[in-house]
Amino acid sequence: MQSSFIQKYLANKVFWLYLFAGGIVLGTILLGLLESSVHIPIPTILHIVFENSLGIGWLSDVPKNVEMIIWNIRLPRVLLALCVGASLALAGAAFQGLLRNPLADPYTIGVSSGSALGAVFVIFFQVTIVGLGSYTLPVVAIVSGLITLFIVFGLVRLSSRSLAIETIILAGIIVSAFIGALTSLIISLGDQDAMTQIIYWLYGSVAMRGWSHVQLIIPFMIVGALILFVHYRELNALALGEEAADHIGVNVKRGKLFILIGASLLTGAAVAVSGTIGFVGLVIPHLVRLVTGPNHKHVLPLSMLIGGAFLILADLLSRTVVAPSELPLGVITGLIGAPIFAILLVKERISGRGD
Amino acid sequence: MIKIENLVGGYKNTPIIKGMDLEIEQGEFFALLGPNGSGKTTLFKLITGQLPIREGKIILSGKEISSYSKLEKAKKVSVLTQEIQVSFDYTVEEIISLGRYPHQKGMLKQLSIADQKMMSDVMEKTKISHYRYTPFRMISGGEKQRVLLAKALAQEPEILLLDEPTNHLDINHTFQILDLLKEQQQETGLTVLAILHDLNIASLYADRIGLLEKGKLLEVGGVDVLRKEEQLKKVYEVEVKSQSHPVVPKPQILMTPGHVITDNPFDFNKSYKIVKNSTYIHVQFFQALRTISNGVIGEGIQWAKHFCNFHVDKHYDCSNPKKDLQEKMNTYDIPYEQAVGMMTAVNLEDMVMETKEIEGIPMMVIVTAGIGNAVDITNEYAVHPSSQIGTINTMLFIDAHFTDGALVNGYMSATEAKVKVLQDLQIKDPESDTIATGTSTDALLLGLTQQGEVTPYAGSGTVMGKGIGQLVYHATMKAVKKYLKRVQR
Repeated sequence: MQSSFIQKYLANKVFWLYLFAGGIVLGTILLGLLESSVHIPIPTILHIVFENSLGIGWLSDVPKNVEMIIWNIRLPRVLLALCVGASLALAGAAFQGLLRNPLADPYTIGVSSGSALGAVFVIFFQVTIVGLGSYTLPVVAIVSGLITLFIVFGLVRLSSRSLAIETIILAGIIVSAFIGALTSLIISLGDQDAMTQIIYWLYGSVAMRGWSHVQLIIPFMIVGALILFVHYRELNALALGEEAADHIGVNVKRGKLFILIGASLLTGAAVAVSGTIGFVGLVIPHLVRLVTGPNHKHVLPLSMLIGGAFLILADLLSRTVVAPSELPLGVITGLIGAPIFAILLVKERISGRGD
Repeated sequence: MIKIENLVGGYKNTPIIKGMDLEIEQGEFFALLGPNGSGKTTLFKLITGQLPIREGKIILSGKEISSYSKLEKAKKVSVLTQEIQVSFDYTVEEIISLGRYPHQKGMLKQLSIADQKMMSDVMEKTKISHYRYTPFRMISGGEKQRVLLAKALAQEPEILLLDEPTNHLDINHTFQILDLLKEQQQETGLTVLAILHDLNIASLYADRIGLLEKGKLLEVGGVDVLRKEEQLKKVYEVEVKSQSHPVVPKPQILMTPGHVITDNPFDFNKSYKIVKNSTYIHVQFFQALRTISNGVIGEGIQWAKHFCNFHVDKHYDCSNPKKDLQEKMNTYDIPYEQAVGMMTAVNLEDMVMETKEIEGIPMMVIVTAGIGNAVDITNEYAVHPSSQIGTINTMLFIDAHFTDGALVNGYMSATEAKVKVLQDLQIKDPESDTIATGTSTDALLLGLTQQGEVTPYAGSGTVMGKGIGQLVYHATMKAVKKYLKRVQR
């Protein structure tokens, strides 16, 4: 009796969590569309969105420039923030589950900087791989992120036998520093103008990207997310350690590889369209876990939703705090994320000692 | 269930398992024993597939083990190791649900109602239902291990591999876990293959034992393999003695530490002090003595330092002598856990103490005697509740090293000497009017310093036995005569 009651309560709780997260996403999208220097009433915004996406419109005389602002500037920006935030948060949750540590994140383990190097390379040299076209950028970013990941892991394996998180983060910092130098080298080869542009890009931003960038990230986000969702049980099993996961029948090698590929797809694509935005993948899964518990069945999708909403809000903050000029998104997430990272580190050490 | 044929395997270039044949039957509890590095864990890893098999084969339910997929194998074999660290705050229930991993079907791989039921069953069985929603990290080590056992059982395995599952647990939790396993084995026919370090626990729980040494099975057999002291000594390089468990008919191994053997010898004549008054005689040795006795306290074969003979009233109500004696010892600050205690109604002033040396071995005997209840053990009359308290209490201390067998020999020798005294003095059993063999409540103790050469025999055919006999005879004779004198007066 009691347990079925609790189960029902839990099921309900999960339902409400998803409803709540979905509501937040919709709310932040609306807020992102609404809040700006030019005020446009909500009904008009809704009309424009519905007319352009579904062909259902109810207002007759919407000025062309208003439609331009909403449909061509604000909506792609908001959606891009949503996709980038969702991808980074999901990748962070996956890395944390895989490495069994809440301190992992695409940024702290160096994947982001690897992807950034690839992206800078493509942008700076205007490289296009035949057959990929505009997808050259995300593909190169993903591949260079994945390569960086393997370099980091290789370094960890060489320096210590266990995958201790401190070692991984240290290796991430070492590799990031080296990659940062390479990136700087590429930048310094160019002229003043290109330099400023790339540096600003590296800080991370979703401004002035337009629909083309939304198109760039969405396929990778969907594939990456699907790969990770399919492997949620393996992520749960890995909490026991790789050996114990093997004992309950998990194909650990294959599972790990898929999870790494999925997370790298998400990270690489996000970096390719927005630059390096740190700490989203660190903070969001942690917050989600506080509410739902560590079961990846719920941590993964909820991290995606909350991560997306978080980045829309962060973007909103970045363009309103010092309006009319804008702060880079990476600055905002860094200002929020780094202190939380520090708190988590301390907490982890304390609980580690308590064990 | 599992058949291992000519198995060779281990790490690259250096096989740890060097040719092994073993067959484990369905439903048995098989314990693998052996020192560190003998290949126990390697064998496990060869079974679980973590290490490659280089030669030979492992056959599981008639099929070669490498032909199973990971999921198929996980449905047949589950593993319980030493405590594992779980990251994040998973609840106990979530951990157990992982045991259902190999059984989950369909695209979504949700927990079905059958899965839920199985989980509830194993939680009930391992008595952790009330922890269901508690984070795994919050519960104690022993409870964690029960949870991991529940997870392993949720896999519905046919064979359970245990890799020192109770290493870090206290004895309470160790026995809890092993009892649960044994129950499971007996009820469901689960086959258990366990690596155990504790030989005594292996002896108590295993049906069969395999002793591994340097990658080879030295011997396979029932737990009585553990009675082979020489073999264990060779494998573990530790002095061991195999004894029987006092309650269960299984061997228990006692280890002898290296440092005891090098203890400094002591002078027997200076190694004790005696307190004697009208209430008790207390012989205190500074070193513990190997003792055999039928005392009220400290009976059987023991190590003891304090040897007491307490005076009690003639009309003593002996309904709970053990407790009375413990209380008495408490009053005089004698630790009864390290003592042998006797009782007598005889006047303790009539105590006789004698010392003697036989072939350079000092002995000391203390006798108190009364023969009011003289009994011929061979007469057919019924035993009467004693009207007069009278008993012959003998304490014999010898500066020698006796085996357990010699202790029993010595005990016989001392008893024979006592019988001879009664015979020579023509003491009669009043009921049958035949010569008595003793009184109804005689007590005897032998205390050995265990110094010097080991003496395997102390019967009447040995110098030692004769020495015991003569000393006890003399002292008892004196004591009985003193008693008779007092009674006449």
